[in-house]
This record gives sequence, structure tokens and C-alpha cells, in this order.
Amino acid sequence: MIYRAPPPSALLVEPLDAFTAVFHRPSGITHLLVPPAPQILAVLTEGLTREALMQRLAAEYDLADADPVALAARLEELVDAGLIRAE
Amino acid sequence: MSEPERPDTSADDRAPTRRRALMLGAVTASAVVSIRPALAQTAGSVLACEIPVPDAGRAGSYIADDGSVVPAGTQGAYPAPGRPFKGQEVKQALAGGQLPGTTWESNRAYVNYIRRLQRGQGGFTCFASLQMPRG
Repeated sequence: MIYRAPPPSALLVEPLDAFTAVFHRPSGITHLLVPPAPQILAVLTEGLTREALMQRLAAEYDLADADPVALAARLEELVDAGLIRAE
Repeated sequence: MSEPERPDTSADDRAPTRRRALMLGAVTASAVVSIRPALAQTAGSVLACEIPVPDAGRAGSYIADDGSVVPAGTQGAYPAPGRPFKGQEVKQALAGGQLPGTTWESNRAYVNYIRRLQRGQGGFTCFASLQMPRG
């Protein structure tokens, strides 16, 4: 399964101290994200499998807990929110 | 799956010099809170939805003073307006305004018709959404 974020033009991303506010233009819904959601969203501009996403995150960040189950939960949450698509 | 897993042990030139820490978090933790614009959606639906007078099943019929649908040509009743009314127009009419293209009398008849809408009739959902005590 490939996870994909919308193109950058569909999102308005604004870091706000502890949160990152993301306005999703197609739905008109604003989301408040905390790490690692904004980082996942940024990496998924390019569609990736969960395994490939984990590798990319591990390459870019010092992952304290590279737990695939936790990553799956984060992805599910982003899909439920309509911020990414699973195809 | 795009590339085989490879432990990052060697001095890989792709590795940034300083890497930020990131926690994936507990499985049950939540990283997303969505703020759904209920108010904006209501306003949008009010603007967009339509109420036909009368509904399509009785198109061509007239509307009596009390809002009932009567046969075309009935004395004292009003022919159907040429187009469905927009939610916003109905909202204004319910607040004492007048539907566009109507006389004082025909407006009263059409508003009475709309007030009598029942579930299952064309325009009922739109009418019901105008009654929502939001905004």
C-alpha cells in the first residue's frame, strides 16, 4: 500500500510553537498536528510504502522509537483525517 | 519496498551532519486534531441548497394561501415560481423578508408551503438545515 500526501499547493502549513497548523484546501478543514505527523506529511509528498517511509524517516531523523506499529497508527490517523491517501 | 533495508552503519554521504530527534509516539497517542468548520459548512449549505415550490412530483400545480398544493388554475392560488428558491433566500423570507420575484401574497403562500414541508418531500432537508440553531 502506498501512502501519499496531497501536493504542497493543496496545503497551507504553518508551524505554531508546539503545533503545526495545516489547512487542507480541498476540504476547508484545519488540522493541528504534533510530531511526527508534520514530518510524515512532508516526506509523503512522494508516495511511499510504510516500510519505505520508515526508512526515509530513519534517514532524516534520529528515531528514538522506530516502531512499525506506531507508524501504522500515525498513518491511519492521517488517512482518517483526510490528510493523506492510502492507495 | 522500494529499496532493501540497509543499516546505516557506514559514513553515508546522504546522512545529514546533524539529525533531529523524532518520536513516533505510543500507538494510542494522537498526533492530529481536526477542526471542522461546522459553521462554515452550515453557511455553505444554506447558500447552496434549494427548495423547489412545489416539489418535482407536483410540478405545475398551484400553491394556495395556506401553502397547500392545489390543481393548476385554482382561483386565488398562485402558480409555481419559475425556479427553486435558494436556502439563503428562504432563510431571509422566514425572518420576515420576501422571496425574490414574488408579490406579498404569493410570498406568503410559498413560505407557508415551505413551512409545511415534511421529511421525504423535495427541499425538506434544505429547510431543516435552515432551522439548525447554529450560527
